[in-house]
This record gives sequence, structure tokens and C-alpha cells, in this order.
Amino acid sequence: MTSINKRRNHLSEAQAAWVLLLPFLAVYGAFLVYPFFRGIWISLHDWNLLAVAFNPDAREFVGVRNYERIMWGRNIEWAALAHPTLQILGIAGVGISVFLRWTNRASRATAIALGLASVLLFVLPGFHPGEGGRWYDRRFWPTVGNTITFVGLTVPGVTISALVLAAALNRETRAMSVLRTLFFLSQVLSVTVVTLIWQIMFSPRQGLIANLTELFGGSPIVWLTDESFAMAAIVITTIWWSLGIAMILFLAGLQDISKDLYEAGALDNATGLRAFWHITLPNLKRTVTVVVVLQIILHFQVFGQSHLMTNGGPNDTTQVLVRYIYQTAFRDSELGRASAMAVFLFVIMGSFSILQFILGREDD
Amino acid sequence: MLTRGYYWLVTALAIPAFLWLVPTIWMVSLSFQPNEVLARTTSSTALGLVPVPFTFENYTALFSFGQTPLWFLNSVIVALGMTLGVLAVSTTAGYALARLDFRFKTPVMILCLIGLMVPEQAVFIPLYTMFADLGWHNSYHALILPRMAVPIGVFLMMQFFRAIPQDIEEAARLDGVGWLQIFRYVMLPLARPAMMTLAILTFLYAWNDYLWPLVSAQQREFFTITLGLASIQSNFAQSEGLGRVMASGVIASLPVVILFLIFQRYVVQAMTAGGSKG
Repeated sequence: MTSINKRRNHLSEAQAAWVLLLPFLAVYGAFLVYPFFRGIWISLHDWNLLAVAFNPDAREFVGVRNYERIMWGRNIEWAALAHPTLQILGIAGVGISVFLRWTNRASRATAIALGLASVLLFVLPGFHPGEGGRWYDRRFWPTVGNTITFVGLTVPGVTISALVLAAALNRETRAMSVLRTLFFLSQVLSVTVVTLIWQIMFSPRQGLIANLTELFGGSPIVWLTDESFAMAAIVITTIWWSLGIAMILFLAGLQDISKDLYEAGALDNATGLRAFWHITLPNLKRTVTVVVVLQIILHFQVFGQSHLMTNGGPNDTTQVLVRYIYQTAFRDSELGRASAMAVFLFVIMGSFSILQFILGREDD
Repeated sequence: MLTRGYYWLVTALAIPAFLWLVPTIWMVSLSFQPNEVLARTTSSTALGLVPVPFTFENYTALFSFGQTPLWFLNSVIVALGMTLGVLAVSTTAGYALARLDFRFKTPVMILCLIGLMVPEQAVFIPLYTMFADLGWHNSYHALILPRMAVPIGVFLMMQFFRAIPQDIEEAARLDGVGWLQIFRYVMLPLARPAMMTLAILTFLYAWNDYLWPLVSAQQREFFTITLGLASIQSNFAQSEGLGRVMASGVIASLPVVILFLIFQRYVVQAMTAGGSKG
């Protein structure tokens, strides 16, 4: 081989590999690896966007103070029952994961993931400002809470409806493929088009929903500016927008379930709903987990819906993490603090990515 | 074997499918109604789902004044540029990682894998300061370059190249063909379907991207259509007229919808691959 290389003056295998890799590694290093570490570095500084733009020395190294300023407060105490509902749920979660592992109903990875999440659910809500104390940043944890609420409503909504649709549409006929197309279509629209449509759908004066309610004699809901409906409105919008991809992933998973199982099931009188419950669901468990984790990652990054439809309001009820980062950086010019939040976001999403990676490996 | 139950199922599913489509139909329908009418009511005929009274005015107005055509052009340039760029760096790197042996291959692979975990939101602030220092904001390359660094395309191409049988390459090797030539003349032609999938995935992403253009393009001349639409929707009722804003929405969606309807199979493949891999 080498003799041929020499004779024809070709590059060696390794040389060729580096030549081919170079363009990607260059952009990757410059626009992803370097910015990532620079982000961490910025988060350790008191860094005002405008001040530093005029005078590069205007930044000041402050260590982890930005993290303290967003996540901590004065006189923060911890109590086992500061937020009873969530913490009891956390304890229950620990119990459930131990039980599931004990009775071998969940794989080790699933049990550990569930257990860890439950421990966090028990520990984190326990922190609260003690007497005369307060959070340094009153908006940060509520924002995180809103983001979790958004994810907690959207992910089950998308998953359940996509699963039901996929099971119903899983046939190779003309009509079914047209129906699949119709359900998938909204997925390719951009966030600005989606929010444009739904902003006006929800409008109390011009909206289709309001027109419908008036037709039936009801009085229209002021969806986007009512504290009890604004979050629901952006969740509905998001479910409408992102159902398609979950449905497609479920359809791919359904293709892998052997037809024999259904035929065997039919002999035991398991058809229709019973077949769905006893055959489809158990065999689709892994796909469901993958889709759920994927969506958690996806929807944790929510920004456009909140930014364009409700401006984070009313009264911060739909303020989400990415929007808070964006505002802190580009409205308040506090790049250091915003970067610390971005690192926080990365840690959360990174742990879900690792989970996704582990789940992806499990079947290989 | 199409039973009666099947037809019932199709009928039962057609109703939610239609409801699912209603918001989109409504946007299209409003875009064909006169603004004077819309200012009064949005439910002239059949709750506004049918464009009666009908007009093309909103579209002609869109193209005779306002910046929508320019934004549309910007989106085309950025999306095509990003697609070409991603294809170029991903096919080459994907091939090298899949088929060539070299030192430090595993570390390089792990380094790329870690990059899959880094979301855009974790790097957009440092990217902003970098591009500001370079004076690159408000340019096409500022909108294109950051997405070229996302390793998802490399992994898609790598998986594809891995699946190609080894003997094709070996035959060419025995004839004394160099690695770069094998890549160029043997592998690339084979990779067309995978490149198509990646191209569509990238184009859709580029066309619909919002956060980075919002940060990087501050001058309206460099807005993409997605960003431009966001900028006019906040004051839609007063200045532009509802019909015209909806017409912009239709124009902004047209390329991706057409792309989707023509290349549905690839889009679905792209989304499945891109979705399940990050």
C-alpha cells in the first residue's frame, strides 16, 4: 500500500483523514468549543456588555459570585417540609424507584435516573429564605419553575396525543399517509409563523377561538394576558407545533413491532384498544422513553413562544429560562450573570443528553 | 384487507386532522381578505375560514413596499449558504471518521460527541461577544458560520459511510487511487441520499432559526424572514393591517411547506435521524 502511495504521490491514510477533518474541526473549534469555554470564563466576571464594548478592561473577575447572585440569597435555610407537595412527591419518587428496581420492573439506568430526579425534587424545594432573608435574584427560581411547568405540561401532552395518533395511523394506505402529512405539516413552520397564527387565534377581539365562544353565547377568554390561561395558551401552541416529530418517531418505533405479535394477540381476543394496551405499549416502552427525553431537552429551550406571544407575562407567569438569559444579556447588559444562567441551563440539558445517550446505547 | 372498521377509523381521524389544519387554513384565508374588512371582523364567511370577500392586495402590497422581499432574499442566501457549508464540512469529516484510520481518532470522535450536548443557548452570548469583537455582526457569514460548527451532520454522514460495504473502497485502493480521490469520485456519489437528508434538515433549521439571528442581525437589512416576521407581528393590527401580516406569514412558510410536500420522505427521515440523535 505504501509503495503505491509513494509512486502516485498520494497522501497517506492519516494525512488524508486530517485534510478531510480540518474544515470541520476549524469551525467546530472556533464556533463551538472556544465559545463554550469562553462562556464559562465570562460567567466568572462582572461583565457589562456596553462597558466592555467601549473599554475591554472594564470587566472584573468575581469568581463564582454570579452563580451566587442568581441561585442564592441572604439567610437561606433548608427545611424538610418547606414546600410539602413537591418534597413529599420527591420522597415518594425515591420509594418508587427503589421498589421498581427491587422488583426488577425498571432497568438500572432508569431507576438511577428516576431516583436522582426524586432526590433533587426533595432537596431543592427545601431551600427558602429564613427570617429577614431573601433571594438575591427573586426571578431566577420562579423562572426555572415556569420552564419546568411548561415542560411538564407540554411533554405529556405531545407524547400522549402523538402516541395515540401514531398507533391509529400506522397503516400503509393512501388515506393514512395523507392524514399523517396533515398532522405533520405544522412541524415545519417557523416559531414566528406559529406564534403569529396562535397570537391571533387567541386574541379576544379577532381570534377564532373567541369568535367560536361568542357563537355559542360565551364570553371570550383573554388568553394571553390572563395569569391562569397564558401558560396554557403557549402549551397548546407548542403541542400543535411539535406533535409531528414525536408522531414520526413513534411510527418508526411501531414499524419494529412484529406483526406476529398482533396475530397471536388476535387469537387471544386482543384487538383494538386491548391490543394497544397489552401489545403496542409494552413493546414501545423504549421509544417512549427516548421521545420523552428528547422532548424534555427540546422544550427546555423554549424561547420564541414566550418571547413573542406573552412577553413572559402576565406578571412573569410565562417567563422562561432562555428568555431570562436573553433579557439579562441583551436588555440589562449583564453578560456575566446571563452566562452563569446559560451554564446552569447547559448543566441541566447536558444531564438529559447523557441520559439520552445512555438510553440510545442500551439497545446496541 | 380494508374492513369497515378501517373506513370508520379514517373518518374518525379526518376530523381531528382537519381541526389540526384549521389554524393554518385561517392564516391563508385571512391573508386573502381586505384589511378594511378584517379591521371590523375576522369571521366574515364561515368563521373567516373561507376568504370571502377576496383580494390579492395584501400580497401585491407586500412586494411593492416594505422589506419583506429583502428579508426573503436574506433567508434564501443564509439557508443555502448554511446548507452548502454544513454539507461540505460534514461529508468530509464524516467520511474521515467512518472510514479512515489515524492517530487520535477516538479523542476526536469523543470531542465531537460532547459537542452534541452543547445547546445553542449555552454559547450564544460568547458567540455574540466574539462576533462583536470581529465586527462581523449584520453580515451573512455571521448568520451562517455558527451552525456549521454543530456536529450533528458529521454523525449523520458518519453513520451513512459506515454502512457502505468495504470492498468498493478496496477495489479502488488496489487500482492505486488515492484516498481523496476515492472520497470524491466513489463515496460522494454514493452519499447523495444521505446528503439530501442532511441538506433538508439544515435548510429547515436555517430558515426557521430565530434566537441567533435575533441577537446577531440588528439592522433590518440583515433580518431573515423569520426575524422580520417577528418584528412586524408585535404591532400588526395598527400599522400593517392583519391581512398583510398574515400574507407575510404565508410567504415565510411557503418555501419550507413546498420543500416538505415535495421531499416528504427525506424530511421525515431527516427529522427522525436528527431528532433521535440530538
